[in-house]
Amino acid sequence: MALQDFRADAMRCTRCAYCKWIPFDLIKSARFSRGCPSMEAGKYHSYSAGGRLITALSLMDGRSTVTERVKDSIFKCNLCGQCDVSCKICRYDMEPLEAMRELRATIVSEGHTLPQLDQVIEGLRTQFNMLGQPAKNRGNWAAALQIKNLTKESADYVFHPGCRYSFDGELAHVTRDCVDILQRAGIDFGIFGQNEKCCGGRAYDMGYRANFNSMAKANLSAWKRAGVTTVITPCAECYHTFSRKYTAKAGSEIKVVHMVQFIAQLVREGKLKFTRPQKMTVTYHDPCHLGRQGEPYVAWEGEEKKIFGQAVCYDPPRPRYNGAFGVYEEPREILRAIPGIELREMERIREASWCCGAGGGSREAYPEFSRATADERLEEARSTGAAAIVTACSWCERNFLDSIESSEAKLKVFDIVELVAQAL
Amino acid sequence: MIRTIPKEAYGAIKDIVGADNISDDPAILDSYAFEVMSELVRPDHCHFMPRPWAIVLPGSTEEVAAVTRLCNKYGIKVKPISTGWYHWAAPLKDDEPTVQFDLRRMDKIIEIDEKNMYAVVEPYVICAQLQAEVMKRGLNVNIIGAGCSTSIVASACAYFGAGPSSFYMGNNSENLLGQEWVTPAGDVIRTGSLSSNCGWFCSEGPGPSPRGITRGTLGSRGGLGTYTRCAIKLSPWEGPPVMEPTGKAPGYRLPIPEKFRVYTIGAPSWDAYADCFYKIYDNGIGYIFHRQFNLAGADLAAALWLTYIDPTKTLNDVETAVADPEIKRITEESRISFQLILQGSSIENIQLQDKILNAIMRQCGCYKVERFCEPDMAEFTNMYLQRLGHKHCNYMWVGGYMGSWMQPGTPDFVKGYVPIAIDSFAKDQESGKLVQCGGDALMGCGSTIGGGGLCGLEQFVSYDPNDDSSVDACIQHMEDAVTTTARHGIPPGKEYIYLQVGWPEEKVWDALARMPQKFVLNFQRKIKEAFDPNALGDRNYPWLPEGWGEKTTG
Repeated sequence: MALQDFRADAMRCTRCAYCKWIPFDLIKSARFSRGCPSMEAGKYHSYSAGGRLITALSLMDGRSTVTERVKDSIFKCNLCGQCDVSCKICRYDMEPLEAMRELRATIVSEGHTLPQLDQVIEGLRTQFNMLGQPAKNRGNWAAALQIKNLTKESADYVFHPGCRYSFDGELAHVTRDCVDILQRAGIDFGIFGQNEKCCGGRAYDMGYRANFNSMAKANLSAWKRAGVTTVITPCAECYHTFSRKYTAKAGSEIKVVHMVQFIAQLVREGKLKFTRPQKMTVTYHDPCHLGRQGEPYVAWEGEEKKIFGQAVCYDPPRPRYNGAFGVYEEPREILRAIPGIELREMERIREASWCCGAGGGSREAYPEFSRATADERLEEARSTGAAAIVTACSWCERNFLDSIESSEAKLKVFDIVELVAQAL
Repeated sequence: MIRTIPKEAYGAIKDIVGADNISDDPAILDSYAFEVMSELVRPDHCHFMPRPWAIVLPGSTEEVAAVTRLCNKYGIKVKPISTGWYHWAAPLKDDEPTVQFDLRRMDKIIEIDEKNMYAVVEPYVICAQLQAEVMKRGLNVNIIGAGCSTSIVASACAYFGAGPSSFYMGNNSENLLGQEWVTPAGDVIRTGSLSSNCGWFCSEGPGPSPRGITRGTLGSRGGLGTYTRCAIKLSPWEGPPVMEPTGKAPGYRLPIPEKFRVYTIGAPSWDAYADCFYKIYDNGIGYIFHRQFNLAGADLAAALWLTYIDPTKTLNDVETAVADPEIKRITEESRISFQLILQGSSIENIQLQDKILNAIMRQCGCYKVERFCEPDMAEFTNMYLQRLGHKHCNYMWVGGYMGSWMQPGTPDFVKGYVPIAIDSFAKDQESGKLVQCGGDALMGCGSTIGGGGLCGLEQFVSYDPNDDSSVDACIQHMEDAVTTTARHGIPPGKEYIYLQVGWPEEKVWDALARMPQKFVLNFQRKIKEAFDPNALGDRNYPWLPEGWGEKTTG
């Protein structure tokens, strides 16, 4: 797609500002009513989804140019998709999140980049990961484990931890816990170890399409060679990328499973028994890419058509992604199944979840903004009285851990897989 | 062409609000110039109104006042907005230096006085936020028809402020208590009891009460200074302290508490519809009273809403639904209908209200539209009308909506213009350049004032802002409505004030001079001269230049 393809969205934006809030029906307090971290930081209307649609129109029509302020308004965004959910409460014809991605990719292709993100992408290009780490260290987390090496062997499933779970020493235990669970389940799986490559999803969101394309091509080829039919991942961003971006942009037909879906299925079938109670009050943070951006996805190609004279619909009918069918229940099923765990929900949950602040290049380019976004979420978590915040995404975890370290908060951060492993 | 305020003025404002809170970047400015309905009034259907020359984000009344005084010094117009919706929120002229205040930093709920039932808010507190907070205390707030995303200060201090709950809770203009106002000259005026340091409880005194001044005949819409705080009356709420919606987006559902009833009531004729309204007024039942779902057009409403509440469906499915025999039956059953939510103070009270309503329906020949009273639709109706968080559905068909007609009056007056409005709109749809939803896309409050007596119905005209021919069709409809109403001796409707936004001032003054009570506008000129000596406010606060009325023959 090109930016011009979203011109109609921009022309049909009504500047209603729903994109700045969680769905109004779900507001339970004034304190936790806002939905857009970018607006809270940037304040001007341009920092909202609607504002970016207007920016796109303004640039396309030559009314303005890309200035440092414009770049700030475009890049200072986690692309969390809350705006998309809220817009689609009433609109069937708008795709604000996709439009914002396209705007970003457009200005990147024109050379309007941020040096911090250029550096990250250079690391991706040479070392195939988003953390700027040497590729040869990627498989170190599995050094002591006996796992099929899919560079040489075949398997039905590939376990793809993703960059953060592979390289982040503090999270490596989660990766190993995943392997333990997979082995207990007895499925035929393998890993690519140091030859694993980044999913490319964050590069896509940062606007670097070509780099995403090369990662997608490499991963799909590798999986095909290894006979893989299903990819399992504990990372929400990888999950979203494989199940949606690979399907939409790279024609992938591979099945994608997140660890919470896999574990929930084992729990339902009675194949995973929790024997060690975990006495703790927790709250669950819905990662953007597993929740509202984690809906089942079907690639679509078609055209706009009009009915009743002017009402917009699509031919063939265009699937609707508004966060309604994200992966929300499975993590909650798991937490309810672990003895001793008391789950207390935050106000902004499921499709209305406030972002952790790590996505879209924000963590790399705008650390203060990223931290402030995480702080806001942690405050909401603390307001529940929970002792811990649990999530199912490495990037959320890392951002929360970093935020807690610099604050006086007494709140633990858990990966849901970690809790599962502790309870087995 | 990029226009900027003088560097000296920019620097001085920056010193007041901070460097991060002022911008003259063209793209930033465009995000404020772009407004809904711009394409109906601007040359070449441009979607941008005139650009402000700078955006300022003040954080306090003191900053608002200081920047306003500065603008007086430099002759820069001031145009404040809070949530900033509709084309009149933007500057009206390209060649006038204008600073736009975006008041989003002033977003605090200052106080909720539970005992005396009022709340004090800043401009960027939206209805949804305040409602969520006051419901915890057994209270509720009137949410205007534009929905819960709007500013309470904006509706209470400036315009009519009517919504589905106005029948019970009053119009926000009735609900305004003390207010704090920064005049166009930069003076801070506190009104009513607030001005005598007696608190917020009364809008009329002891102390000056400029409610008639600030609101004027049609409201200021940013044309007469900046409202920085207000106190708003609250009403009783018998429901749960926190709303717990169920279901999936978009059609969230709100369970109906035992002291509530949620109905869609059908009428066999517009005479019966009006009779029913009078009887509801006279019997004092009803908490939320609105003709809501018909915004989609009576021909399509049943199909649309029954599709909408299914999270697996899209607008494509409406095309199929419309042809379904059962949907056709419901369409006819609900053709002349409205929504009514009852709130009882006790179980006995709600049961009594039910009996009264049943008796009213029997007398008028009205009935409950059964499918819309089933739990799924009733709970959706409850959610929709209690929180009013789906008002963007006005734009659901294709992104463009313009509300025409909506002349307020008694139910008998309104029923009188309804057939004319329906015939006229049906004709305008024949070209296919507007959404063909049938001539009756009329929506409106059961009463725009507390206790009943005044209502109105507006046509929901849906057009494609991305298609110039559709935009033209909407403009034609607006002009047809102006002509049709004049021909039938009906006062002009909302389309008239929307069109005026694009007129040159002289044309506006000529039109105002023909009003039956133009002395009001001469009085408003006096107000403007007193409070806005340097003419920093725009003509959204209507007034007539001296002698203009006398020069123009009616």
